[in-house]
Amino acid sequence: MDNAGILVVDDDREIAGAIEKLLEREGYEVKKAYDGLEALDALVSGNIQLILMDVMMPRLDGLSATLKIRESRNIPIIILSAKSEDSDKILGLSMGADDYVTKPFNPDELVARVKSQLRRYMLLGDMGNVSNSNQIAIGGLLLDTDAKQLKVDGGQVHLTAKEFQILEFLMKHAGMVFSAEKIYERVWKATPYSVENTVMVHIRRIREKIEINPKEPNYLKVVWGIGYKIEKI
Amino acid sequence: MAFVIVVLSLAAVVVQIQYAEYMNGNVESLIVDRYINSEEFYYGQVQNGLYRVSRAIEEGKEVEGEPDYIYFAADKEKTFGNTKWSEREFYEQYDQTFYYLENGDWKAGENANPPRQYTLVDNTEAIAYVAFTDEYMARKQLEWEENRAVLKPLALRMALGVSLALLLIAYLIWATGREPDDKELHLAKIDAIYSDVLLALFLPVIGAWVISIGEFAFSRNRLFDGLGMNEVFSMSVTGGATVVAVSLCGILFLSLVRKLKSGKLLKHSFIFVAFAASYDFFKSLFDGRRFKGNTHTQSLFKRQWAFIVASASMVFMTFMFLFSGVLPLVVLPPALEMLIIYWYIKGNNKTFVEINKGFDESLGEQMKAERMKIALVTNVSHDLKTPLTSMISYVDLLSKEEDLSIVARDYVGILSEKTNRLKNIVSDLFDLAKSSSGDISMEMEMLDIKKLIEQTMGDMDDEIGKSGIEVKTRLPQEPVMILSDGKKLYRVLQNVLDNALKYSLEGSRIYLELEDRDGKAVTIVKNTASYEMNFTEEEILQRFNRGDKARTSEGSGLGLSIAESFTRVCGGELKVSVDGDLFKVAISFPLS
Repeated sequence: MDNAGILVVDDDREIAGAIEKLLEREGYEVKKAYDGLEALDALVSGNIQLILMDVMMPRLDGLSATLKIRESRNIPIIILSAKSEDSDKILGLSMGADDYVTKPFNPDELVARVKSQLRRYMLLGDMGNVSNSNQIAIGGLLLDTDAKQLKVDGGQVHLTAKEFQILEFLMKHAGMVFSAEKIYERVWKATPYSVENTVMVHIRRIREKIEINPKEPNYLKVVWGIGYKIEKI
Repeated sequence: MAFVIVVLSLAAVVVQIQYAEYMNGNVESLIVDRYINSEEFYYGQVQNGLYRVSRAIEEGKEVEGEPDYIYFAADKEKTFGNTKWSEREFYEQYDQTFYYLENGDWKAGENANPPRQYTLVDNTEAIAYVAFTDEYMARKQLEWEENRAVLKPLALRMALGVSLALLLIAYLIWATGREPDDKELHLAKIDAIYSDVLLALFLPVIGAWVISIGEFAFSRNRLFDGLGMNEVFSMSVTGGATVVAVSLCGILFLSLVRKLKSGKLLKHSFIFVAFAASYDFFKSLFDGRRFKGNTHTQSLFKRQWAFIVASASMVFMTFMFLFSGVLPLVVLPPALEMLIIYWYIKGNNKTFVEINKGFDESLGEQMKAERMKIALVTNVSHDLKTPLTSMISYVDLLSKEEDLSIVARDYVGILSEKTNRLKNIVSDLFDLAKSSSGDISMEMEMLDIKKLIEQTMGDMDDEIGKSGIEVKTRLPQEPVMILSDGKKLYRVLQNVLDNALKYSLEGSRIYLELEDRDGKAVTIVKNTASYEMNFTEEEILQRFNRGDKARTSEGSGLGLSIAESFTRVCGGELKVSVDGDLFKVAISFPLS
């Protein structure tokens, strides 16, 4: 796993070079391509387990290249883009990308995301047989309701009892929004009375444990003015 | 002051006149020294006496009552008189008041004033002598002089009053509307009343005065020549009524004077204004000025008038032909009318098409400009972010190099800090540009702003804890539902709270309140600033303005601008107010 091959696609050679250095420090084998077409060529020739893809590039742009790659390959693709709108993110993910990182990125965060995607990819075998009805899998999260265990990208994460119950409740109803009162009612089994802060604090702790960047969560999201939900991925 | 004097002196004059009336005074006594020469004596006594003696001769009986004069009359049949004397010499001794009848004609004695009017005796043979005795005349002269003695001071006072009033009125006319300090003309509140209304107000005032004087003053029976209780009472009523009437008239009059001086007397009258407004209204209907500068609508307007005039003349022609009996010609106007209608519709349609074309064009231009602006924002943002990405990445790589000198590590630390700050600024700038250009995707939904505040507080728990500043909340029990974009509204609250935390005085508190105010959900964040806020409410919301001019902290300085802009695109309103050291942000949304 440490020698996984990563393809960095960016028309800006300095950025591509910097990412190359960053990842090489982590022990990855890095190849570079400067547009979509080169990326497709490089993919054919070499051993590549993950792609970092810029969007705005000459000849073939990143989104089209992603779409093209998805026709034949299932490897993780992380889009790297200067476009930061929600709509751009949704578009990128709907094209088949696994993650979306906006430029300028935090180098440490980028590395963490790469690692996360790689672990998930490598563990795909394990994740695939969620035949066990006691397990709930969403993205890189794997929750075992019997063993009371949570794995994030294959790695064990320790949660307190209440944190686990909240996450379990939300993951069972992924995509649905629940108010703090509702969550309190279900988890604490008590009448909710000014519980917003209690629930919020728990949510924040859970985020810190399961999200790469708790400020921009991938899984556990706040629906402002309404409640909380686990994104259905 | 002058005004009061005028009022009082005029009232005094009126009262004096009334007083004079009560005293039975005869004004003539002021001018004519001797009673004998007065009109009163001449008409009241002489002419009257001669007339009555003449009547007595004609009717053949004595003068009724007790006349003031002595007389003797005789004709062929009888003689009568009120003395025992029938000789002419007796009467003639009162030479200044002696009159005699001769040949049906009255003549005056040698030194008497000649009679002027009465020559009406048919009986030419009759003789008569009339005279006023010296005793009588002396008594009358005495009365005459007494009368003058009473009237003289009265007249003097009246003259004084009138001339004083006139003088002061002249002064008031000159002085009204002026103030000692400047040359400007100052108008009073009453001057806002239209001139003609002011003028009309004189009528009821003067009317009321006349009626009240008529009621109280001259209806009294004059029993004595002196002053009784009744008279004194009536005089004070008259005086009071006059004071009121003169005051009111004076106010009205001075207002008119001020308006005249300011040159607005005529223009600022109800009639003038009403005429001008209706004239303008009708003119605006016909002159097409509203369409000035718009060739298309102007041509529509003109065509409309041409159509109306032409159609009306067609109707007129039809009736003319009908009544003049040229029946075959009656078909002509309807036929022409068809042509006119055709011309009207065709012309209008053409203009409408042109208007639409122009409208579409300008809409297209506007869209194009909008798209260009958005493209510019996107491109500039991309062009800023790309080099920034390289900078951040290489600074990070550099910081991870192991064999850096201490100095170099120090420098890299600064570089890292500054590139991060630059990143924040670029990101904020981009958000602001997007939201203020209106090109921002919105997800409006019904949400509970009370809950959103609580969530934001929970989210910022760490920052609040670290700052050492307490946030006191006062939120309602019930949910407060509004229609907004939750994510952006969170950003708004976050920025506002961030700002409050950053600039609050150490150990002070931040107050966060939510209340329903006139159908609006108003969120108020108040804090005590840690520095002197020498800026205005407008300045702080302008881009890149920061509370502290030193610009020491790590923010972009766009926090409040973004909050304001985001609030606006979410359909709310953000207002900042500064009161001493109190900084207050109020965010209001219409309640749903």
